[in-house]
Amino acid sequence: MRSRYAGQGSSLEYYLWLFTRLSGVFMLFMAAFGIVYANLAGGRTLLDIAAQYRWSFFPIYWHVQNTAVPDVVPNWSNSFWQIFCLLLVFIAAVHGFNGLRGVVEDYVHRPLLLLAAKGLVFVTFLFVLGSAAVIIFELFQ
Amino acid sequence: MFQGRHVGYLEGLRYQGREGMLAWALHRITGLGILFFVGTHVIAAFFMHSIGGDISTAITTTYESTPMQIFVYFCVLYHALNGLRVIVEDFWPPLLRFNRELLWFQWFVFLPVFGLPALLMALSIVSGGK
Repeated sequence: MRSRYAGQGSSLEYYLWLFTRLSGVFMLFMAAFGIVYANLAGGRTLLDIAAQYRWSFFPIYWHVQNTAVPDVVPNWSNSFWQIFCLLLVFIAAVHGFNGLRGVVEDYVHRPLLLLAAKGLVFVTFLFVLGSAAVIIFELFQ
Repeated sequence: MFQGRHVGYLEGLRYQGREGMLAWALHRITGLGILFFVGTHVIAAFFMHSIGGDISTAITTTYESTPMQIFVYFCVLYHALNGLRVIVEDFWPPLLRFNRELLWFQWFVFLPVFGLPALLMALSIVSGGK
């Protein structure tokens, strides 16, 4: 597989190229951190495997509520995890939607259609980020 | 990075052939799969949180079903392993000499790590799970 070349076009493209690689590794570390934390906090006896995975990729307390955790507040619910969660979603969304932009640019050739498609990608990106912020910080409640 | 690489649909599907093409296509498909899953998941949670209703329940039931979970597991694991290989090759280009060996090694890791849990999850459907 020939990798995408770095540094073609503007420096923003270069930084996004770099970001995609670094964030990929970083997200794996965040997920590993989540699994280790879940087990250290008693996850082995309180959470089934599915819940531990759900915690790794979206560490917010209501992601573990429907398991055997008696009281989610002490370990699973505090601002640290809200910020961690928002950071994870933000990194994942930039990584993912930038990748989607790459796919769109590979297959859409007509300039106006390309502009519209990229606009749609960007609006979806903002909507997902906004939705995540609302459900993480429980706004409007 | 992406501009100026105008490929047609068929050419895009064909790409360069052999092991690398399969990895390239699967990386793209699994990436889109993850994006689709995470996107609908977050948006469904948002709707559930703000308005409730049948649509969010329907989406939630779909992605909580076992076949969908096997698919998502495939996507995340393949995308992570293949992405790691690409990162390693990008930052240490001499390793590109062993591209094919790395690709085969990647399948060697992927198949058992994906296969065993996927088999157990599939068996849980047979024995009357979700």
